[in-house]
Amino acid sequence: MRAPKTTIQRKLVLAIMLTSTTALVLTGAVLIAREASSLRQLVEREVTTRAGILAANSTAALAFRNPDDAIQVLAALRTDPSVIAAALYDESGQLFATYPSNVAPSVLPRAFGGVGHRIEDANLVIRQQVLEGTRLLGTLYIRTDLRELDERVRMHALVVLCAVLGSIGVAYVLSIWLQRKIAGPVRALATAAKAVSEGKDYSIRADAVSDDELGLLAESFNDMLAEIEKRDGALRASEGRLRQLNAELEERVAARTAELESSNRELEAFSYSVSHDLRAPLRSIDGFSKALLEDCGDALGEVGARHLDRVRNAARQMGLLIDDLLGLARLSRAEMRRERVDLGLLAREIVASLSQAQPDRKVELVVTGNPTTEGDPPLLRVVLDNLIRNAWKFTSKHPTARIEVGQTGDNGSRTYFVADDGAGFDMAHASMLFAPFQRLHRQSDFEGTGVGLATVQRIIQRHGGRLWAESAVESGAKFYFTMWEARS
Amino acid sequence: MPILTRSVVHPSRRFWGRLVLASVLTAIVLSPATAGSESARAGRTHEYDLKAVFLFQFAHFVTWPARSFRDETTPITIGVLGEDPFGAALDEVVAGESVGTRRLDVRRYQLAEQVGACHILFISASEADHLPAVLAGLRGRNVLTVGDTKDFATRGGIVGFGVDRNRVKLRVNLAAADSAQLTISSKLLRQAEVVRKGAKR
Repeated sequence: MRAPKTTIQRKLVLAIMLTSTTALVLTGAVLIAREASSLRQLVEREVTTRAGILAANSTAALAFRNPDDAIQVLAALRTDPSVIAAALYDESGQLFATYPSNVAPSVLPRAFGGVGHRIEDANLVIRQQVLEGTRLLGTLYIRTDLRELDERVRMHALVVLCAVLGSIGVAYVLSIWLQRKIAGPVRALATAAKAVSEGKDYSIRADAVSDDELGLLAESFNDMLAEIEKRDGALRASEGRLRQLNAELEERVAARTAELESSNRELEAFSYSVSHDLRAPLRSIDGFSKALLEDCGDALGEVGARHLDRVRNAARQMGLLIDDLLGLARLSRAEMRRERVDLGLLAREIVASLSQAQPDRKVELVVTGNPTTEGDPPLLRVVLDNLIRNAWKFTSKHPTARIEVGQTGDNGSRTYFVADDGAGFDMAHASMLFAPFQRLHRQSDFEGTGVGLATVQRIIQRHGGRLWAESAVESGAKFYFTMWEARS
Repeated sequence: MPILTRSVVHPSRRFWGRLVLASVLTAIVLSPATAGSESARAGRTHEYDLKAVFLFQFAHFVTWPARSFRDETTPITIGVLGEDPFGAALDEVVAGESVGTRRLDVRRYQLAEQVGACHILFISASEADHLPAVLAGLRGRNVLTVGDTKDFATRGGIVGFGVDRNRVKLRVNLAAADSAQLTISSKLLRQAEVVRKGAKR
């Protein structure tokens, strides 16, 4: 778990401070603006009121041309040091009296103009009519310095600023205290979650200290942990059971395999010894039949000799049968190599040796498609030997024969075949073809033991392939096989 | 010399004339040069122009009892008894003027017996010799008596004009004002010297 970039404490403090500072600053600004505005209004009202009183008091002085009295009336302004200058103008607009009485003339307008009040160079200037009843007797001019007002506004702003800064300080202290109340449980929860995820220990529990949503969260978290802990326990238990079952199953498989292997070995030993032990009586039968024929041929007569010949043929047939059975048994035990084998070359060698044995047969061998494969060379020789011998045998009734060895298909799924144009067989009996000792032809028509194709089947199976045949009576047979299908 | 140019805008066109007049009078009265070397005749004329204005101003600062007027619009009458020293000045000053709802009216009387409904009465110097009789004739009536003869106020008149250092001064006899049931504004009194009957200056 990575460390968080910003802590929730900092965010909380930031949020609280941002909110309170904004509120404080805005409030302070409003207060200052309000104070400045109301102070100015107050001063303006004060000055206007004073001007009204002065104007009312100076009517008679203007009416009866008494500048001394007018000066006395204006002298009342002494009480307010912020008044810079004041003046009375008579009804014709001429200067009548001034305050202070010795004021520099440049400070005052020489002639009166306009009424009302306005700000001039940070001074508040008031011009007011002097009326007795409805009669205009003159005008009053008062110039007041607003620096004091500005100073008061500044002072007020300073006080507000100090209050705002103090409040921000208090808010900061409060936010530190508050964030502890909120962030404490969150941090405890995060620590618990981290401990759980790092240690995979679901027995850890978060402390639910607060009674708010965070407490609820911690409670839910604890409930979740309890649930996980329960499921974890159940999972471990079922895993253990499964492992135990597996172990038992493997034990049983091993036991069965051992049983099978031992019975297989016994069977092989039995068939080997049977085959081997059968040879001795056969040799005796053949040997003594031959000796009987040679030594007592005359006494047996022609019929006897013929019977003995049949005995001898039967014995030889049985010998061949035993040889084949031994070969089949050996197949199961022989070690397999895997080498590149040229099936075409092998086929030529086999046909050459067959032609040598029977030079009067006219058999043509055709090799198509450069059939090469990988496998155990002696075993593949047995396969081809059996298939070509079969072809050779079942074409023997025809004057000429054609045997074809080849391959079809591409690298992904190669199929090899051995085809002939001989006697063929009925596809209805195809299922019996590869079972040992099953023959589709009478012994008198074609010799054989019925073991050959069973042997071929066994070898092809050991090479991870399949073997099948297509044929029809008197239109030849075609045997197909594949290699290494199961593994590729 | 005071500068006579003005820049005040006033709603009343007619008022301008009197403003000019008042300015000129003020300037002349307040100027030391005027009283010092100008001819006595011109000085007197200007003096009475100013006094005419003062007569008019009294209408603003004095309150008469309601029964001295027939109704709300009864004019305030300014009377001149005896030889008139104002010429046309008084008529010019009050022309078109009013105090509240009341217009101002000028009347001239030759004999004290002729004085009728009158609110401000200027008693000319020509009547100085029989002033006590004139005042006695006005007793019990609500008339503000004004004069510029010597010791006018101390002799029983209500407001007396005097001249001091080129200025028109006011003297007020409050007892006389009381007996005429007139209320004089304290503002006016601030401008005046209050005297009692019989007091010597």
